[in-house]
Amino acid sequence: MATLHVLSHSPFTDSRLSSCLRVLGSEDAILLCGDATYALRADTATAQTLSAKTGGLKLFVLDEDATARHIALPDWAEGVDYAGFVALSVHYDKVNTWL
Amino acid sequence: MKQLIVDGRSIALDKDGYLDDLHDWSSEVAEALALEADIVLTPDHWEILELLRAFYAEFQLSPATRPLVKYTALKLGADKGNSLHLNRLFNGTPAKLAAKLAGLPKPTNCL
Amino acid sequence: MAKSLLIISRQAPWSGPDAREALDIALAGGAFDLPVAMLFMDDGVFQLATAQNASQVQQKDLTANLQALSMFGVEELFACSTSLNERGMQPSGLSVEPLEVLDDTQIAALIDRYDQVITI
Repeated sequence: MATLHVLSHSPFTDSRLSSCLRVLGSEDAILLCGDATYALRADTATAQTLSAKTGGLKLFVLDEDATARHIALPDWAEGVDYAGFVALSVHYDKVNTWL
Repeated sequence: MKQLIVDGRSIALDKDGYLDDLHDWSSEVAEALALEADIVLTPDHWEILELLRAFYAEFQLSPATRPLVKYTALKLGADKGNSLHLNRLFNGTPAKLAAKLAGLPKPTNCL
Repeated sequence: MAKSLLIISRQAPWSGPDAREALDIALAGGAFDLPVAMLFMDDGVFQLATAQNASQVQQKDLTANLQALSMFGVEELFACSTSLNERGMQPSGLSVEPLEVLDDTQIAALIDRYDQVITI
């Protein structure tokens, strides 16, 4: 039962991303949207943490939210549009949105 | 706003007929509210009303039907803690009507 | 067969409506006979502290409401050991019992097991 975890809050103000990473299943994926895309800013600890995990972790990013914040997608993250977001939501057994 | 007159005193009710102020409750108020629902309170009714007030004191909320049945079974035994008995006493809507007569807020997790 | 639901409650009790909303979902699900479980993690474990005094901040007593979970048929209750440790809280003597304390790996397995998950 693979889960798609959807995060939309900045990792610099609260613990959603770090908590999510703690309890992530081996088949799970993360989709970053909204302010959560700040997690990919170059030269940050969060970007380092994520890149270190991407061997096993599938990481998706809502393209337009990253572009709006002038955040370049690293090659270990996969950009998706809203249609891609929907496709992922259907593909995974369930979606866990960290409200 | 609806009102209920008990012993010459007027008591405010909300739009669904529940007490506006839970402190207004008394056994006379319960009897007056029961009459509005065409019920004459018997000892069988009273023990459920008292049970509901104990539930509210313990959990600070009004039970939906399922927890009411469970709590009644726990405190009074299975022959009373079943929906048949409670439905018969309270016109088929025990959680809503009994909460009203017991002076509790309307249960929120009820259809 | 109804879908099973795991509610992850991760906000402190008095900072906003989130803790109460998570509990309301659990109670509503239980009232309708859904298989519901609740996991307290991050600041959500502060909901489990004893001897809180909600009236000081003009709030309803969440601790009393939490005791109603089992009456509503919500018997599967969990807390995150990492979150408890971080906050200097002991896994015994919490205000809600019985409650199973899980480490991160066990929580990953828990999330995996449920059909649907709501994190608030």
